[in-house]
Amino acid sequence: MSRYIGQSLPRRDARLKATGEARFTADLSLPFMLHAAVLRSPYPHARIVRLDTSRAERLPGVKAVLTARDTSGVKWGVFRYTRDQEFLAREKVRYVGEEVAAVAAESEDIAREALELIEVEYEILPAVFDPLSAVADDAPRIHDHAERNINIHVPIHVGDVDRAFDECDYVHTERTVSEEESYFMTEPYAVLAHCDRQGTVEVWMPNASPHTKAKGLANALGLPVSKVHVRHVSVGGAFGGRSDMFPGEYIAARLSQMTQRPVKLVYTREENSIAVRQGHSMVVESTFGFKRDGTLHAVDVTAYMDGGAYSSTGPIATSVPFLCFEQTYRVPNVRYNGYRVYTNKPIRGMIRTHGRAWACNVDMQLDLAAAALGLDPVEIRRRNAVRTGDTTPTQSKIFKMDSLATIKAVAEASRFREKWGKLPKWRGIGIGCVSVMSGFPMGIRGGSAAMVKFDEDAGVTVISGVVDNGQGNENVVLQIAAEALGVAPGAIQLVASDTEVTPIDQGAYSQATTLCSGNAVRLACEDARRQIFEIASDMLEAAEEDLELEDGKVFVRGSPSRAVPLRNVIRMGLLKGKNVIGHGSFGPNVDQTREWIKNPKGQLAAAFSYGSAVVEVEVDPETGFVRVLDAWVAHDCGKAINPKEVEGQMEGGLAMGGHGGILLEACKWHEGANLNPDFLGYKVPLAPDMPPIHPFIVESEDPFGPFGAKEGGLSISMCTAQAYSNAIANAIGTHIREFPHTPDRVLEAIEKRAVTGDP
Amino acid sequence: MNEARKSPPKKMVVELEVNGTRHELLVEPRRTLLEVLREELGLTGAKEGCGLGACGTCTVLMDGRPVRACLTLAVEAQGASILTVEGLADTVADREPGALHPIQEAFVDAHGVQCGFCTPGMILAAKALLDEEPDPDEARIREALGGQVCRCTGYTKIVEAVKLAARRLSGEEVKA
Repeated sequence: MSRYIGQSLPRRDARLKATGEARFTADLSLPFMLHAAVLRSPYPHARIVRLDTSRAERLPGVKAVLTARDTSGVKWGVFRYTRDQEFLAREKVRYVGEEVAAVAAESEDIAREALELIEVEYEILPAVFDPLSAVADDAPRIHDHAERNINIHVPIHVGDVDRAFDECDYVHTERTVSEEESYFMTEPYAVLAHCDRQGTVEVWMPNASPHTKAKGLANALGLPVSKVHVRHVSVGGAFGGRSDMFPGEYIAARLSQMTQRPVKLVYTREENSIAVRQGHSMVVESTFGFKRDGTLHAVDVTAYMDGGAYSSTGPIATSVPFLCFEQTYRVPNVRYNGYRVYTNKPIRGMIRTHGRAWACNVDMQLDLAAAALGLDPVEIRRRNAVRTGDTTPTQSKIFKMDSLATIKAVAEASRFREKWGKLPKWRGIGIGCVSVMSGFPMGIRGGSAAMVKFDEDAGVTVISGVVDNGQGNENVVLQIAAEALGVAPGAIQLVASDTEVTPIDQGAYSQATTLCSGNAVRLACEDARRQIFEIASDMLEAAEEDLELEDGKVFVRGSPSRAVPLRNVIRMGLLKGKNVIGHGSFGPNVDQTREWIKNPKGQLAAAFSYGSAVVEVEVDPETGFVRVLDAWVAHDCGKAINPKEVEGQMEGGLAMGGHGGILLEACKWHEGANLNPDFLGYKVPLAPDMPPIHPFIVESEDPFGPFGAKEGGLSISMCTAQAYSNAIANAIGTHIREFPHTPDRVLEAIEKRAVTGDP
Repeated sequence: MNEARKSPPKKMVVELEVNGTRHELLVEPRRTLLEVLREELGLTGAKEGCGLGACGTCTVLMDGRPVRACLTLAVEAQGASILTVEGLADTVADREPGALHPIQEAFVDAHGVQCGFCTPGMILAAKALLDEEPDPDEARIREALGGQVCRCTGYTKIVEAVKLAARRLSGEEVKA
């Protein structure tokens, strides 16, 4: 019986956060600390003709000025074949906001004043701001190596698509476009770096993988990884926007090396929006073919994704929207061409919804097919949903996934079928479904390991690379350790995400933490139990396999009076030279030969989750304003380790992916300059905006997850976007092909519908 | 030759009461209350999320009313009594050492905290509401928190936390 798994225990970190004690990076300071500021490019594409920092260097209080001349020139890219970004621009700048120089000074004011004294002469080059223009033959070339500015091309071909379309009874083509989303995590990026006189660099920054940061920084600084210690710090949200390396951490670390003093660099909100990461804007063209009974038979999708100036997580970002689709709906014949294209805009990374124009295009196609074939939206999804035992087109086996239970939960709770076609005018209801992978092959950084040690009073310390961006990952491993050791989570200490101490972990950006970090902690605790039972078996004169550990006592199963306190066992171990230290290492069951571009087939993830959402909306035909009346979300997360926390992920996912993603959020531009990098211009959902949300947790008990758990929450961010979009279409009688569906677009669609009558 | 620095502006004396302690501070008139709290007094619970008064992460109470510390000049707070999240628990009479304020407890118990960056401002905005209206309905709670951005929770459990705090503060419900 689970004592701690499935319990909505209050989170350990919540007390620190509720009292202001939790320290975020900008809250930290060190003695003799300097403050840094970054000079950024004002042009989207320009050659640096002259860069003179001498006046800035002479300003009293300035301790160092850093330009590309002071760097090793190592380029960053997540993959060996995508290393295209220097942390300070060398010969040219490729977007408005790119790092050109940085200053470390006695105060932030002096650092900013010094930036004004840096003289840069630019030769302005022609620039390009959207992916379709960028792939034109006569477009300006942004990187010498990339013809037609194509950064990444992911081609996936399975089956015989052309023949399959001939076998279909209904074939339809759709084109959707979306603008960029911005992460707007509440904490702006900041970094504190300290290089000591032994050459060791300590770094604090919000991140989703301290070990990835340490490796990237070590490469750029020319140090062994063991000399770069990325420390634990509270992280104010990530949503995919903290995943790879950013120039800021290199700049602070390099300035600290140059000055031998701690250096803090705090980005403004605007810098966080422009110079960290954004979501991709997209143009998606899809052709879907169905059989008369509603089975999806063939799909051909081409997506053009605006990648901005550099690669970042490009190959992954270009693949994941497709992969989420192929895990969601069965399809035997597919052709996917994903192009990530360089433009003179800020760098794009992975973001929760993985492309509104992609995900919502799919579910729009399903609704249109359902209407044409005389099915309702629930039925066509029920018929096509991927489920346990299936194999995806790119050869991932779905070991356990209760997709149908999630569809049933939201369809029944919302009374979808009773309402479908019968709602009053301007009211609508919509459904969306999506499957998300728990991790993907990430080579040597694809798994996690953990240790557990005991004090002489039997106090427990878990040491894990797990990183928590706010989603509660630390609490996940604490509850797992508590369950595995029979000790209350409150009595367990956790040392997490400090690369000097913690073993490599895959990080919190592929939805793998519960599966991988959780399993590593579980295995470490089980290993400790074995050692404890070995010592206790002599003390209790019982066989190891007959022993139990619960409530701080080891006892013989069936005779609880034959017991010895865990404390005594630990002390006996110390006397005998058997210090109990549990070790656990976990690598997911994935095909490590799978590669995003060269070999996109093989087992992608050990587990796949499934989410379904229904929302009901009311549209004001005079203003185009959409009011969301109710939302129902269901998520197969395998097993909810902490149900309230899983609900929190689902509710937050709906807010960002559904409500923000479909109704509000978009970056605005003029000639490559982001016009709304602040909270005033970029609208995010606020408390009064949100609908009532009814969450349903589906537990399919994953065979590989720790206590049956897998990814929890991301699916809802995506499927709510689809449900919002479809509900609006149902309310106004036509689908909107541009994302987000802002009131102006809703009105335009209503007017166009009145003229053309198109669905 | 060294570049000459722009001459620093003349400083002014500001008297503040922060979390019950009186301070006499010498600050440049352009300094915000947020800068003074974070940099001079080491009270980093109030955060700078935007610097424009739009996100609410810098919310503190000035004479009981919520203000954006990033938009409030320190000199504007002359003579005022400021409450930050660090001082909130001390406003409870006869509390046990280490005990939290009931609103803080409710945020912990109702899972109203995820990344935690918005939490201090959110809790203080909730305190300002409950001090004025001990029994607000859900719409009123959402309205009162409408200036506080949370990107993690979707607000559901934050609203539940405020409701729970209201019930506990009124004595209608006792913490288990």
